[in-house]
Amino acid sequence: MPKLTINDREIEARDGAMIIQAAAEAGIEIPHYCYHQDLPVDGNCRMCLVEVEKMPKLTPACATSVSEGMVVNTHNERVKEAVRGVLEFLLVNHPVDCPVCDQAGECRLQDYYMVYGLHTSEIPLEMKVRKRKVIDLGPMVVLDTERCVLCSRCIRFCDHVTGTGELQFFGRGDHVEIGTFEDRPILNPYSGNVVDICPVGALTSRDFRFKCRVWFLHSTDSVCAGCSTGCNARIDHRDGAIFRMIPRRNPDVNKSWLCDEGRLSIHEIGRGERVRRALIKGRDGMQAPASLGEALDAANTGLREAARKYGGAAILGVGSASATNEALFLLARYVKGQLGGDQLEFRLDSEDRKALEPEDKILRRFDKHPNSMGALALGFAGDEIGGIEGAISKAREGKIKAAVILYYKPLVTRETDALAEARIAELVSLLEFSVLFAAHKADWQTDAGVLLPVAAWTEEEGTYTNYQSRVQAALQAINPPGDAQPAWSLLAALLEASGDTSVWSSSTDVLSDMKQAVSAFAGIDLDSVYSQGALISTNGAL
Amino acid sequence: MKKQAKVVNVSDRAQRESSFAKEVLGPLVGMKLTISRMAQNLTGQISPTINYPEERRRYSDRYRGAHILTARQDGSPRCVACYMCATACPADCIYIEPGEHPDPLIEKVPTRFDIDMLRCVFCGYCVEACPEEAIIMSKESEICALGREETVWGIERLMRRPELKEFGLGFRPNEKLVDSVLAVTPEAKPAIRMAGRITLKENVEMIPHVTFEPQQD
Repeated sequence: MPKLTINDREIEARDGAMIIQAAAEAGIEIPHYCYHQDLPVDGNCRMCLVEVEKMPKLTPACATSVSEGMVVNTHNERVKEAVRGVLEFLLVNHPVDCPVCDQAGECRLQDYYMVYGLHTSEIPLEMKVRKRKVIDLGPMVVLDTERCVLCSRCIRFCDHVTGTGELQFFGRGDHVEIGTFEDRPILNPYSGNVVDICPVGALTSRDFRFKCRVWFLHSTDSVCAGCSTGCNARIDHRDGAIFRMIPRRNPDVNKSWLCDEGRLSIHEIGRGERVRRALIKGRDGMQAPASLGEALDAANTGLREAARKYGGAAILGVGSASATNEALFLLARYVKGQLGGDQLEFRLDSEDRKALEPEDKILRRFDKHPNSMGALALGFAGDEIGGIEGAISKAREGKIKAAVILYYKPLVTRETDALAEARIAELVSLLEFSVLFAAHKADWQTDAGVLLPVAAWTEEEGTYTNYQSRVQAALQAINPPGDAQPAWSLLAALLEASGDTSVWSSSTDVLSDMKQAVSAFAGIDLDSVYSQGALISTNGAL
Repeated sequence: MKKQAKVVNVSDRAQRESSFAKEVLGPLVGMKLTISRMAQNLTGQISPTINYPEERRRYSDRYRGAHILTARQDGSPRCVACYMCATACPADCIYIEPGEHPDPLIEKVPTRFDIDMLRCVFCGYCVEACPEEAIIMSKESEICALGREETVWGIERLMRRPELKEFGLGFRPNEKLVDSVLAVTPEAKPAIRMAGRITLKENVEMIPHVTFEPQQD
């Protein structure tokens, strides 16, 4: 643990840390373009020049490791002068087309110019070296070589993270530009990350391009619900519409990355018709719209009737691997505590096995649900049922008569989804009475006794347990449509109507109760659930 | 020695000074200006009002009326959909949807540009924020409609308005631009002053050589 001084402050740094890392950990910002926490050091942009005592020249902070007794100065006149010079050189051939550039508002060139630059350009616009603009690099990326500062972050990402090596420098002198061989598209499944790590507007997102200026957007911390990896993400939204999802750094889960499928999964919520109002099936077998209160009453009465008539063993709780821990916990509590049922299931397609299976070496996993591990920890994988197929055969035999079912469409789609949905549909059609919580409309839902509109991911606050059994919180970004409410809040209403005395006013309340009631969750720290995530013990059960 | 205060008996003095002439003529003298103006008005010598809308006042060239979107030479909007106007707008009345422009140097073009004239407070911030002189204001002040929907002006209406011939240009960044940048024949000048640098269909026919030249800094 070497001790060094940065700007007259004594700092203890990690062994082998670079000056820029030590400074960042101490809250001192050193300007940089090419340095990135999760990429190998390159040291080409020279923005991070700092003065180190007894070194004859200024030295790049990203490529100089700390040593005992080092004295570093990051903001004296000599450093400022050098940084201003570097910035001026970087801007020599920059087209300054900020008004039409998507990066404007989150551009490092703009930010650092306001802090370190503020110089007048010596180069008139018509003397600048013109390069190629608007180059289509596949489904995620648009390249503008004029705006590039040649930091090579994107090149290093493709070389070292995905290992696909599509990008490279071309040309010499001030004609150097980045690009792919013959402008071939970048087709690796993580190509969207080059847009995030680009500090300037050279690489912009094909999906987000021109959709909204970034200063209009509001950001909400969330967790990607596209697979069981549970990458930390930030949802950017405006006026109830989600515009983009970008990664949020969590070194234990996703570093700074997000896969393209996950990135685009935000559009899946808006696809297809939503369930906006509750529906109750009448005596004539037709569903009619009802208020939430009426529907909850009908659900409660119907289920209690079935429990009284056929006994608790005929009641099944079907969770979803896409539901939050809170919703699953309350569902289990309702089915077990209030209806006397003891059967819980969530597996539509062997999620419990797939959840741990990586699809590639970076992030993606085969299980395209965010909370399979949570459902397992909350005891939803009943061995006596054995998946949805077991439930269907039991319903055929007449052993299961009624069920409470949570069903969410997966956000990252696979061919097997249709089969999973068909199984749920079959189960619903076989039951005498079913209460279905659904966010998206589907034809088969007409078989449900009561259909309740629930909020989808991003529309509710809740926690998901990823493949590492890490509980992570996703906050609410936008409001659910129509009468829809978070599943936990509807289940809380059902519990209250059937006589449970607990009162939950937020999903955090439910989580605190879950911490007390479920042994697996007993050890979690609520604060870390909302930051880097909290690990649960995997061998506990409800 | 103590100075004794002088006591003025107001009622005494009022009584002393009152007379019939003063009570009747006094107000008339006071209303001299009013009465003389009335006489002038009745005889038609002066008139403080005008017969609007047949007669109209000449507004200042900095009058902030309904907006105009200016056009390029080919008639497409000069706007690059940068949202500077929408960002500056305190009334949040500008709605823009950008699209891809075939020319990579222009890059962006609005596919929709709506201004809600009912929300607009006509502050002119959009004009000042615009880096392209793509939005300027006219002297058009009569924004009437039969329904709220009609008060949201789309890109077509903001770009081509025959009414502008009548109203003329209002607040814009460079008022002298009309005369200085464009080479104009003297007889076309009044028409340009009205139509400005916008290439309205009607005006192009009237003065064919008036097209927008990109301004060089």
